[in-house]
Amino acid sequence: MKKLIIIVTLLISGFVSAQTNYDKGMQKAFELWSTNQAIEASNLFERIATAEPDNWLPLYYAAQINITSSFGERDEQKLSAKLKKAQNLINDATAISKENPEILVLQALLHTAWVAFDGATYGMTLSGKVVELYTKANMLAPKNPRVVYCKAEWDIGGAKYFGQDTTPFCKDLQRSLELFANFKPETVFHPNWGADRVKMLLESCEK
Amino acid sequence: MEKLTIIFITLISFQIAAQTPISGKVFNTKNEPINGANIYLEGTYDGSTSLEDGSFSFRTSETGTQTLVVSFLSYETFTMIGDVTFMKDVTVKLHDDVNTLDAVVLSAGTFSAGDNSKVNVLKPLDVVTTASALGDFVGALQTLPGTTTVAEDGRLFVRGGDANETQIFIDGIRVFTPYSPTTNNAPTRGRYSPFLFDGITFSTGGYSAEFGQALSSVLLLNTVNEPDQEKTDIGIMSVGATLGNTQKWEKSSLSVNASYINLAPYNAIFKNRNDWIKPFETASGEAVFRKQTRSGLFKLYGAFDTTNFELTQEDINEPEGAYFKLNNNNFYVNGSYQGDLNDTWTLFGGLSYTRAKNNLDIINSDINDDENSLHAKLKLKNRISNRFKLYFGAEYFATDYNETYADETVSKERYGYNNNIAAAYAEADIFISKKMAFKTGLRVEYSELFKEFTLAPRVSLAYKTNDKSQVSLAYGNFYQNPSSNILKFNQVLKAENTSHYIFNYQYNADRKLFRAEAYYKNYNNLVKYDTDFASFDSNYNSNGSGFARGIDFFWRDSKSIKNFDYWMSYSFLDTERDYQNYLTKAQPNFANTHNVSLVGKYWVDKWRSQVGFSYAYASGRTFTNPNKTGFLNDKTKDFNSLSLNWAYLISPQKILYASVNNVLGFKNINGYQYANTPNANGNFNRRALQPATDQFFFVGFFWTISEDKKSNQLDNL
Repeated sequence: MKKLIIIVTLLISGFVSAQTNYDKGMQKAFELWSTNQAIEASNLFERIATAEPDNWLPLYYAAQINITSSFGERDEQKLSAKLKKAQNLINDATAISKENPEILVLQALLHTAWVAFDGATYGMTLSGKVVELYTKANMLAPKNPRVVYCKAEWDIGGAKYFGQDTTPFCKDLQRSLELFANFKPETVFHPNWGADRVKMLLESCEK
Repeated sequence: MEKLTIIFITLISFQIAAQTPISGKVFNTKNEPINGANIYLEGTYDGSTSLEDGSFSFRTSETGTQTLVVSFLSYETFTMIGDVTFMKDVTVKLHDDVNTLDAVVLSAGTFSAGDNSKVNVLKPLDVVTTASALGDFVGALQTLPGTTTVAEDGRLFVRGGDANETQIFIDGIRVFTPYSPTTNNAPTRGRYSPFLFDGITFSTGGYSAEFGQALSSVLLLNTVNEPDQEKTDIGIMSVGATLGNTQKWEKSSLSVNASYINLAPYNAIFKNRNDWIKPFETASGEAVFRKQTRSGLFKLYGAFDTTNFELTQEDINEPEGAYFKLNNNNFYVNGSYQGDLNDTWTLFGGLSYTRAKNNLDIINSDINDDENSLHAKLKLKNRISNRFKLYFGAEYFATDYNETYADETVSKERYGYNNNIAAAYAEADIFISKKMAFKTGLRVEYSELFKEFTLAPRVSLAYKTNDKSQVSLAYGNFYQNPSSNILKFNQVLKAENTSHYIFNYQYNADRKLFRAEAYYKNYNNLVKYDTDFASFDSNYNSNGSGFARGIDFFWRDSKSIKNFDYWMSYSFLDTERDYQNYLTKAQPNFANTHNVSLVGKYWVDKWRSQVGFSYAYASGRTFTNPNKTGFLNDKTKDFNSLSLNWAYLISPQKILYASVNNVLGFKNINGYQYANTPNANGNFNRRALQPATDQFFFVGFFWTISEDKKSNQLDNL
């Protein structure tokens, strides 16, 4: 999926002459990310953020890299350092763009990373926060595919645990796929990820 | 595709060529190279990431004076201002960030519970999931070392101190009457709902200069800053019911909570040693309002409760039993504001007001008391850097206490006191490195009642001996005016005083924690009097003294056994004091030499249940046996209690909870009451002081209805 973004981005930008520093920087960062150089990518996003103090996107992606890489991290010190950094980036992004459903989803994912690390400790304390974030994001942007799919994935986790029916949430996933098809990001650099994961999740829904 | 990428990169690099080169190496303080650090010129796109050997190089089109920034996870960000032409072969040393998880912690004396930072002895939900605690925040803390088991009292007795020496604070503001009243053979509970708090710090000694008027211990409770979601909580219990609701708005939120407890049905089913005329009944309500301002948070917390009961208790000197009736009304309000003044200064201001009224009928006497107390506090924090923080504060405590007494011979007698105290403090936190930290402070208090100034220095130091362990030392001097039991009769006294010396060792590995703490305390200026009970005709002085020394151990392991989390505490206490009406220095009756506590929780995934146990052991307590010579010359048998609980998660919103205290039915004895006059053989008869009930059963169903549930249904339409 990420590759797809980059290919598309590169293709588009390849033909556009007179690129701005911002475009070049963002493209470069996505490319680093797609070639498994996550640290370099995150560093570059952070650099762009300092040069573009009114733009939430580089902060958003720097945070996303730190959150994604903390899933599966078993060392609490490393995990806590990464998530603390991600939290600071999210705070900075929120200061630029308030009531932003994309950032709310990212915040929910950050909490989910803690729950995934130690469900017994953080499950009960952070679940409420996650649910609240998705509820708020859903109110702001009911047609945003990431809001719908991330919420559905969280709900499926909960329903499986409590032995409840996951069908309604699988329907939500299906619906998010349609939303993905119609989703037009504001610019090429605006968030547009997630459709691949939905397809993967839907496969497990059918089992 | 790859070709395209290459072309693209070439294009970029082409453009960057022919500019000023910047290069250097990044190390940590141990001179090890740092890989992955982010190096850039602030406000520009020019930068790079350091390689495995710490080296970096990039080119910039910027000219003149620029700021070079080097940042990396867990290190303090480095900045260098200079002309770009001089930024060649720069050697950058990054210093450890002292705010990370593995940095040294000033931990001597302190246990904390709550957020996911630093070292937490208790997790947020431990308060409500500890088998013996029955949802009482004080009950859960009694499983920690340093506390002694005074089963019939229920308050916190810490390290040889009596319960009055522990003070409780909500959001940094003093709570003057934290405990619900009970009969003298049933433990009291904290008045406030544990669900309103998300951080608890329990200090068993050596605490900060911010806190005064507490000789032994402080318990700091922080209310939730922002509730998670709008919800309604319903609780139906074998002893009553609770109802709560939380509303959120854009910048503010309100939580209200009401509960009603009535022990009449329980007493009707289970045998009780008290002869109830009017069983224990309490109704309470709490509300928290929070409002976010541009750079701060305002909180207003209010609680009201009313309790009454009436009974006759067995008494060896009263053949018909001792009659006791109580009516208590308690109102507490606490408002606070915390906000940032600028990047480095933070301001906190708070005010609390307590009104407590008791109406007591004891045998033939009628006692009415009325306490009005106020606490105002202002503190400032100056974060000069991550490594150096300054704190200043001033506070004022005012208590106006009035009591009336009447019996067959005394017609309404009025007495009381005003106890006003002004205090100021200053304190500094100094991190020398990630390995070593100090805290040093000074507190000054002026008591209007005694016209007396006191000066209390506090110091603590922590040193990290390796990745996982650290040692700490703490010293502090503490003052506290005598309690209302004394002050209402006599005001020509001094503040009681104690000094703490603490040595702490802590080992903290992945979800395993071990602590050992040795301490010595000496007490001075304790109040003495010359009658059986403190009374208006007693003679008082401040010449009492005492000491306490001991060692506390704590071990918690949430890792070794899957889904099983347990902790163990052991405290050894050696204490003697000469105070109140003591004839000589002796071990007080609230101090057990050995205390053991074992708490375990096992999560059964298949049943979505948590089953837990807690076991408490305490060696015998002293009492005076008049059939032998001496004072506090005998000891009760050891105390044992095993409690079990079971919490079943029916759905994410519904929990069924059941618990049994003292499941094995140990017949514990808290002390003895002796007859005032000897029997025909010249011996004094006695009666064992036993708890009102040996066991306690509890069943509750808790249901949270969140607004989210509705939104979910809407989605599916």
